[in-house]
Amino acid sequence: MQHAVELEELEGQIIEASRFLELAEEQLACRVVGQLEVIRRVFIAMLVNGHILLEGVPGLAKTLIISTVASVMNLKFQRIQFTPDMLPADLIGTMIYNPKDMEFYPRKGPVFANVILADEINRSPAKVQSALLEAMQERQVTIGSQTFPLQEPFMVLATQNPVEHEGTYVLPEAQVDRFMMKVIVDYPSYEEELEIMIRSAITASKSPISVVVQPGDIFRARALIDRIYVDPRVQRYIIDLVVATRNPGLYGMAELGSMIEYGASPRASIFLLLAAKAHAFLQHRPYITPEDVKAIACDTLRHRIRPGYEAEADNIKADDMIRQILQNVQVP
Amino acid sequence: MPAFFDVEGVAQPMVNVTVTPDTLLVGDRIHCTINVRHDKGVAVSLEGIDAAAVKPFELVSSRHSSSTVRSAFGQDLFELELALFVPGRQALPSFTVALRDASGRPTGKVSYKPSSSVYVRELTDASMRDIRPIKPPLSPPIPYLMLMPLLLGAFGVGVLVLLLLFFLKRTVRNSAEKVDSSQVAQRKLRKLGSSLSAGMPPHECYEELSNIMRSFLETHYRISALEAVTQEIERDLKKLGVAGFESIMNLLKQADLVKFADSRPDVEESRQSLNKATEVIRSTRKSHKPVE
Repeated sequence: MQHAVELEELEGQIIEASRFLELAEEQLACRVVGQLEVIRRVFIAMLVNGHILLEGVPGLAKTLIISTVASVMNLKFQRIQFTPDMLPADLIGTMIYNPKDMEFYPRKGPVFANVILADEINRSPAKVQSALLEAMQERQVTIGSQTFPLQEPFMVLATQNPVEHEGTYVLPEAQVDRFMMKVIVDYPSYEEELEIMIRSAITASKSPISVVVQPGDIFRARALIDRIYVDPRVQRYIIDLVVATRNPGLYGMAELGSMIEYGASPRASIFLLLAAKAHAFLQHRPYITPEDVKAIACDTLRHRIRPGYEAEADNIKADDMIRQILQNVQVP
Repeated sequence: MPAFFDVEGVAQPMVNVTVTPDTLLVGDRIHCTINVRHDKGVAVSLEGIDAAAVKPFELVSSRHSSSTVRSAFGQDLFELELALFVPGRQALPSFTVALRDASGRPTGKVSYKPSSSVYVRELTDASMRDIRPIKPPLSPPIPYLMLMPLLLGAFGVGVLVLLLLFFLKRTVRNSAEKVDSSQVAQRKLRKLGSSLSAGMPPHECYEELSNIMRSFLETHYRISALEAVTQEIERDLKKLGVAGFESIMNLLKQADLVKFADSRPDVEESRQSLNKATEVIRSTRKSHKPVE
């Protein structure tokens, strides 16, 4: 068989270019036990310039994963603990007056880094959340009258604690939509937890992580991901999935219509395609199959679907609805 | 109030009887006061006023008090409380006033029959119109026993309908099973081969081949193949331990390459794939019974 586009050549390049991710995974495995799915989702977001909203109870190595990813990839990492008394200036920076030369100078905030961990983002008020989310979208920050572009690669990983809601400021839907994926961090398995306990119960400082990836590797990978072939059938399949979240009745799921208050936005289609491309890249494939779309559909859509009153009464979660949609929408 | 004298010139006491109320319901009580005025120094007692003698009245209580009126006369007051249980007009019971002197010797007796009476009403007096009459209990328009055959009939019809549906479903299933999915798939593949010979583009042939294979797998192995991606089908077939698993997967993966990787197979390749698919389906028919 012959490919109309030179996919064999691209496949070779992808295998070569994705080697850095295998090395990074190896290094991460020295520090982090399990959570491979979360790590892969972080890689996917990194490869296609996306941001991630992490949700999980405390103590599941969210911070460790992110800081280790940054270390392995030689990226500048900043952890920002969001608190109710925080101001936008604490995040993006402010103008400082210098009495010597009687002038204001910008002092850059912690947002000027490659990998930002916005810990418990829902603890700070809307104006701080907006400042961060604006930086995520525009990839630039304005302090005083000066605009500073953020360093590339720039990725925000925000965490939310699903248990505590007292004294929190829930992220508005429009802002949640800017996150490419919402990843649920689950508890480790029995064996994984045993391994974590044995590894962590030592007082000696841990061996340093080797830098195995350079930011240039990420940019090269991005260029190849842009060349990944997407057949029109897969494009339509993505649109079918997103439209099914808005009008399930069109796909023979009329009963789901009353369960969904509102479905995914067009941003979901864009991110679904981007994430599917990155997933295919991780599989060393120069083209997307519906399998790639299905693999990342839950993470990309779950925060974009709002379950209605009926769904909440029946304890039906967004994930259940997405699974139903995936089962009912015919694959090409 | 002076005492009066009888024909023999003996002084007689003066008796006055009052009753309240004069109308009552059965079971109610009346208060009867007997006032006896007599000469000073005479003791008075009542006879014939006891439980047995006052029938139909019931003696509930009695009280006796004496007093002096204007130094020449004495007065005895007998207060009786009587209950009544017999309806109708009832005359007060008669009694005797016994007189004694200071030494206790009887000096005379006077029988007295009161002229007043009381009227006792029944509790369920038919003449009363102010109490709403109680409605008699409603009886069902159709007796329950007459409804039983109807209910049994409806139940019987329901059972009959269910039985009919059951047999109908079984017949439909049996007839569907009789249409062998592999035969259907082979027929479709033959038709596809003819279309290919007639000039159908090879990539369209692969797309159709993939659909035929998926439909066959869905009906033959009862797996959700039309809504599943190739990897999911691979997982399901592996679980079932399907014969010719690798050949099936090769065909599906080849079709995936054409569909999603823009591969351009030639006519000969397409024909080979069609033959391979026919062979796979035929071998599956021989080796594996459809999943129940």
